[in-house]
Amino acid sequence: MRSLARHKMLRLTCQQASRLLSQQQDEPLPFGKRMRLRLHLMYCDACTNVSRQFDTLRLGLLRWRDKD
Amino acid sequence: MTSNARTTGETATIEFAALAEQRFYLMRIARMELRDEHAAEDCVSDVLTQAYERRAAFRGDSSLRTWLTAILKNRIIDLLRKQWREQPIEEAPSGEQDFDNLFDETGHYAEMPSHVRDPAELCQEEGFLSAVQRCIDKLPKRIGQVFVLREVFGSDTKELCKDLGLTTSNVWVQLYRARMMLRTCLEKNGFGNAQPG
Repeated sequence: MRSLARHKMLRLTCQQASRLLSQQQDEPLPFGKRMRLRLHLMYCDACTNVSRQFDTLRLGLLRWRDKD
Repeated sequence: MTSNARTTGETATIEFAALAEQRFYLMRIARMELRDEHAAEDCVSDVLTQAYERRAAFRGDSSLRTWLTAILKNRIIDLLRKQWREQPIEEAPSGEQDFDNLFDETGHYAEMPSHVRDPAELCQEEGFLSAVQRCIDKLPKRIGQVFVLREVFGSDTKELCKDLGLTTSNVWVQLYRARMMLRTCLEKNGFGNAQPG
């Protein structure tokens, strides 16, 4: 998997991955992008953290909305 | 979610008091969306009046709050369309270069984003929710408005395009910017206070 991840055509930068992470919050990604993102997240702790931050933002907003 | 709505068969009758109970909630979300106390008050008053007049149309199968939120959303979209028509801004650029300063020359994060140990737990903290609200209030107005419609009012991408006359890629760029600005803002006083994992 790691050699595949290093393949230039498949490899995303964090900047690209972050855009896809945001897009994924709004609709399902096309297959190719979804796979490239998944691959990126396998070896990138930074984007894994960002993914979790985006999830937290969504949950936080729902909690804020429904708090009373 | 409690209300005084009483279901009688298919329809429910609503007392005005039950509607008024929702005013505080409606004001809170209208204020976040519109960023204008008076506009929010006008909007919420209209919504409550309209809801009372149309109370026969309320069906007990959704909650009163959900029903009122939908009415408020429509009212807000009308307002935003009007405001945006009167004050158009240039189409946002693609956003390809956005947030370049967060990334190194190879396109990777220059600083490690904070790890949120337990999102559910963090989101129960009043302090974190206030920080989220403060950070949203600091977003550029339109980016904030699109984001709040998405996350608080539950509009999906298609609705945002149709309701606000934006292209799909423009909606994605706006939402991406909102999330990146919010995560940067929360690195300072939200996520950043979370225990490292």
